[in-house]
Amino acid sequence: MIATPPAGPSMNAASEKDPFNNNCYGTLVDRDYKPVTLPVLDVNDFNERIIRGYEEGYGEKDLPADLSVARSLIPAGTASLRDFSYIAPEIPEYIPSNCTGCMDCVTECPDTAILGKVLGEDEWEQKLAEVPEADREMYKGQWSRTKKYYEAGKKKQGVGGMFNIIIDPSKCKGCAECVTVCDDDALKMIAKTDEVMVKARKSHRLFKNIGPSNEKYISGNLLIDMMLKEQTHIYTGGAGSCAGCGEGTALRMLCAATGSKYGEQWGIIAATGCNTVYTSTYPYNPYMVPWTNSLFENAPTYAIGVRMRWDQMGWQNKPLWVIGGDGAMYDIGFQALSRLFASGMNLKVFVLDTQVYSNTGGQASTSSFTGQNTKMSVHGKAVFGKQERRKEIAQIAMMHPRTYVAQTTCAHVNHFYKAVLGAMEFDGPAIVVCYTTCQPEHGVADNMAGEQARLAVDTRAFPLIIYDPRAGDTIKTRMSLMGNPNMKGDWYIHPKTNQEVSFIDFARSEGRFAKHFDRDGNPSETLLAAKQDRLENWRLLQELAGLR
Amino acid sequence: MSAALAIHEFASGGLPAALEFLKRTRWELRELRMVRVWTDRVYIIDVNKDYFEIRGVGFPDADISPLLRAVNTAFDPATIHETATAEYKEFFTGRRHTWAEDRVM
Repeated sequence: MIATPPAGPSMNAASEKDPFNNNCYGTLVDRDYKPVTLPVLDVNDFNERIIRGYEEGYGEKDLPADLSVARSLIPAGTASLRDFSYIAPEIPEYIPSNCTGCMDCVTECPDTAILGKVLGEDEWEQKLAEVPEADREMYKGQWSRTKKYYEAGKKKQGVGGMFNIIIDPSKCKGCAECVTVCDDDALKMIAKTDEVMVKARKSHRLFKNIGPSNEKYISGNLLIDMMLKEQTHIYTGGAGSCAGCGEGTALRMLCAATGSKYGEQWGIIAATGCNTVYTSTYPYNPYMVPWTNSLFENAPTYAIGVRMRWDQMGWQNKPLWVIGGDGAMYDIGFQALSRLFASGMNLKVFVLDTQVYSNTGGQASTSSFTGQNTKMSVHGKAVFGKQERRKEIAQIAMMHPRTYVAQTTCAHVNHFYKAVLGAMEFDGPAIVVCYTTCQPEHGVADNMAGEQARLAVDTRAFPLIIYDPRAGDTIKTRMSLMGNPNMKGDWYIHPKTNQEVSFIDFARSEGRFAKHFDRDGNPSETLLAAKQDRLENWRLLQELAGLR
Repeated sequence: MSAALAIHEFASGGLPAALEFLKRTRWELRELRMVRVWTDRVYIIDVNKDYFEIRGVGFPDADISPLLRAVNTAFDPATIHETATAEYKEFFTGRRHTWAEDRVM
């Protein structure tokens, strides 16, 4: 039985509960539901009846166990309809006069909750005239004349580009990552009062109504500007991830880079893990592209089958990403991953490396660092955290025949985008391993994903790598360590303090290593061994890259 | 940076009073971001770059360590008192207990 959707306003339209229609499809501009022609999934029924049931709080208890529920199929982008405006006490406020248009906040947000737009000044004025008079000055005051878009735009186009950042109050979880990555004091956290929220909701609505960015002002050479285009917003807000989740940002950026080249014409095979849980917390799905969840261990195998079928159907040009955590790719699905590389097939793997089984409560994986305090290597009197050394999946992948390999972080935006775009351009198997912060497991604050990822690179815990088999005939010509500080030295020397920044400094900044420091702050023997392990790994990479 | 939200004068032997000041006024700051320590003062800075200032104590002093610990600072007690080549020393304050175990009932 499929019950009839209730009468009343559509879930994708304004209603008494959502008067400014903040919870709706489309990220930068409004759009309709994404229909499918499958006989087993009625998108309209799902979004109007089942999503409504969950948004209004009676879904789990009162929805009948009909076919849509029993099949557990979820249409694309249903997370757009989810309201998170009640979960955090604070929200960022934009200060346009300080903004330089760097796009760091938009890029690093894990929840697609902070959005940017650029319009020529002439069209901006015309469109502002259509804004209700009562709100016009308020909204006008939220646009800025930045050097990047206004002055450069004036020189190039004859008309300056007006730039706007907006916070979607229905998707923001209040992690403050955007405020932390802003170097220009253009964002600050403020308390959510009724007045603040009405202004935020109204502004977000006006932002969507004003239309898309004028692409004349978006430079194709600036990868960080790609999120100004609607087609890059493949990962909508409304996923069930923790506040500040490093994985959320990584998936958004992966989707943006892939969307910039292929729109919505690609797919995902996701191995079980945190990533599949928060992207399918029933009935919410943030992806605008088709994806499917396999077991922990078989995502690469599953992807090989899908790739074969897609190729038979003439879909050779549609990329297929295989996504999994370190548990799925380093450990349980390692054999399947190796098989994927050996196949030579055009499949791309993206590893969300949190160095721990985040979803199942924090067990050690082979990616965990030596000394890390985890559920399977609890730090106690006899054993001081994980005693084994970390496995390096990037180096292992490099030794497979003709495989593209990258190791990156979201804090290194250009490196990240180049790694992902390079993987997609490569006509064979590729893997991109991404350092992702897991706030509860790592023991860091919600706003620290970017800072900790940067520190992981600076301290050789997680070096940046690109290994492109097309770049030459020898390992050293194929391998690049560009982006790592002090590439030829052992440790990075901080320019301000003139002091070595080592793995010990990284460990000192995270709760997962806290038990390794005595009252006087001296690191344990295990941690010193971990430092040596990281140094040996770094030296090996230097040797492979021809730097030693 | 604008003016400090609150200032505490650190008198000799006044560590308990300084810790009490931090405890009492902590709610006025948002998520802590970093600390900056000079030879004679400390800034405790939040994500909005609002800050508290404690005057009369700095990195050469023994009392600096418990003060920094009180706000979760990632610093090395073995080197904190060493002379700095820069004007001040800066440390993150983003370390937390895993799974917020300090707050679990």
